[in-house]
Amino acid sequence: MKQEKAKRYAQAHDPGSAAAHAEHPDLQDPNVVLSLLEADQVVAAKTRTRFGKRKLSVGARLLLWGLRVYVFVMLVIVLISVIRALHGGQ
Amino acid sequence: MSRPKDNRPTSAYQPAQPTTESAVTSSIARELVGQLTHEDRDRARDRWRVARARWKGRGWKSLGGLRLLWLLVGPGVLVFLGENDAPSMLSYSATGARFGVGFFVPFVILTFAIGLIVQEMTVRLGAVTHRGHAELIFDRFGKFWGFFSMGDLVLGNFLTLVTEFIGVRAGLGFFGIRPSIAVGAALVFVLAAITTGRYWTWERITLGLAIFNGLFIPAALLAHPNWPQVGHALLTWTPLPRGDRSEILLLILADIGATVTPWMIFFQQSAVVDKGMQPRDIAAGRLDTVLGTLLASTFAIAAILATVPLFHHGINAADFQGAQFAQALEPWIGHVGASLFALGIFEAGIVAAIAISTSSAYAFGEVLGTAHSLNRPIREAWPFYLFLLGSASAAAALVLIPHAPLEFIILTVNVIAVLAMPPALAFLLLLVNDRDLMGEHANGFWGNFAGVTVTVLLVCAGLGFGLFTIFPKLLGG
Repeated sequence: MKQEKAKRYAQAHDPGSAAAHAEHPDLQDPNVVLSLLEADQVVAAKTRTRFGKRKLSVGARLLLWGLRVYVFVMLVIVLISVIRALHGGQ
Repeated sequence: MSRPKDNRPTSAYQPAQPTTESAVTSSIARELVGQLTHEDRDRARDRWRVARARWKGRGWKSLGGLRLLWLLVGPGVLVFLGENDAPSMLSYSATGARFGVGFFVPFVILTFAIGLIVQEMTVRLGAVTHRGHAELIFDRFGKFWGFFSMGDLVLGNFLTLVTEFIGVRAGLGFFGIRPSIAVGAALVFVLAAITTGRYWTWERITLGLAIFNGLFIPAALLAHPNWPQVGHALLTWTPLPRGDRSEILLLILADIGATVTPWMIFFQQSAVVDKGMQPRDIAAGRLDTVLGTLLASTFAIAAILATVPLFHHGINAADFQGAQFAQALEPWIGHVGASLFALGIFEAGIVAAIAISTSSAYAFGEVLGTAHSLNRPIREAWPFYLFLLGSASAAAALVLIPHAPLEFIILTVNVIAVLAMPPALAFLLLLVNDRDLMGEHANGFWGNFAGVTVTVLLVCAGLGFGLFTIFPKLLGG
């Protein structure tokens, strides 16, 4: 009785949970599939929507540029280090 | 072959809005009915099992809770055991052989704690937005920053993939298996894992392989570790490493690079999305990540302990690869122990090759807008699978080319991982603080404090390495 009540509540408030009561879900039924997924989880919904570009603050832009320069400089240093190591090993 | 099905339309996109609303009650449900894909149905099946386990288990207190955990475990364990890859296990082995039990034992645990902080953010990002990391970077920061970020990922992933196949070759080389056969066998594993056309099956096969990372535990036990010394090192971080400071710095950097790398961020977020995790699964995703951290750190410490006999006998392991470590260890841990060690390096290479090539393919599909899910059959997502297999095959082929600069790649791969990490972390922190995306799941103060601290630490480690390289006498080297 209590379980039946929980089932009715779930069907009304949480379609995914309602589908959980089925022993074997009929995944050929689109409504069953949709009831188990969130709206923005369906491939067709995702492919036609975008969050869109956010406006970066000056601080964020400076941070990204700073880190980009850091990576570039460090890669040059790694190259120097490896060339030294390879020459040292020979 | 047919064109992949979900190529994005050329018209303007509608604004996306993260929601926990069920698709069936959403305003676009009627339109979605006719557009469901194989991927949606497979994901719905996974969600049904989770919903059923949750309904039956009512939380974590019963066997139903255990079933729920079993269903939701995956990306976190895989990412950490995948990162315990061939170069990482060799870095840990080199650490044990060079410095024995001491500072590096707790230090490696610290690096895993750093990894946990970073990876937990990817769970939230994936579960809330249902988008991969590359897709979000392109979406929120535009193509300019997106391509920079992808450049770091593609370069790092390819070099790391090459080292995985070097590990595979070296591991099986211990048993006298020819390099071409060893590398071919690894490619067969990668192929077998992806031909399932189902994320769940792929995940379980890869998890099954990944658990063999535990082979380092019996190898360590056969080395008869001095447990009181291990306990002392864990509590006091001593003895501190002595000797060539440049070597110490390089090993510190290599051990950090063995635990936190950009591919892990991209992989776990995409895997969380492919698994179909939702905001209500975040707690389980955290548990999955903690479990992965615990397993991987235990196996990493085991690799250190297994090679400690080389330290005690003064054997120089500076230029050792997988098979050489196993051969050198044989007099002290026996043939069984050495074989386990070699198999461990082989396994580490295979699991990482699967995970890293999948990470590259996810990012490729996300950026180009082609189908990018392991729930898709090959005919529907052939560019995704082709890129996955192609990147693995190219790396494997490079390993077999005579006189290829493999030593160069081994020397650079972990260091490059550390250097590429701060920009990846900056994007991660910007995304996970974006309240338009994350809503109530955005980072709080402590999350940001930890994230910024990790970023600053990594930048400092990189700068230290750079300063020393330019001015070697700074460290007395």
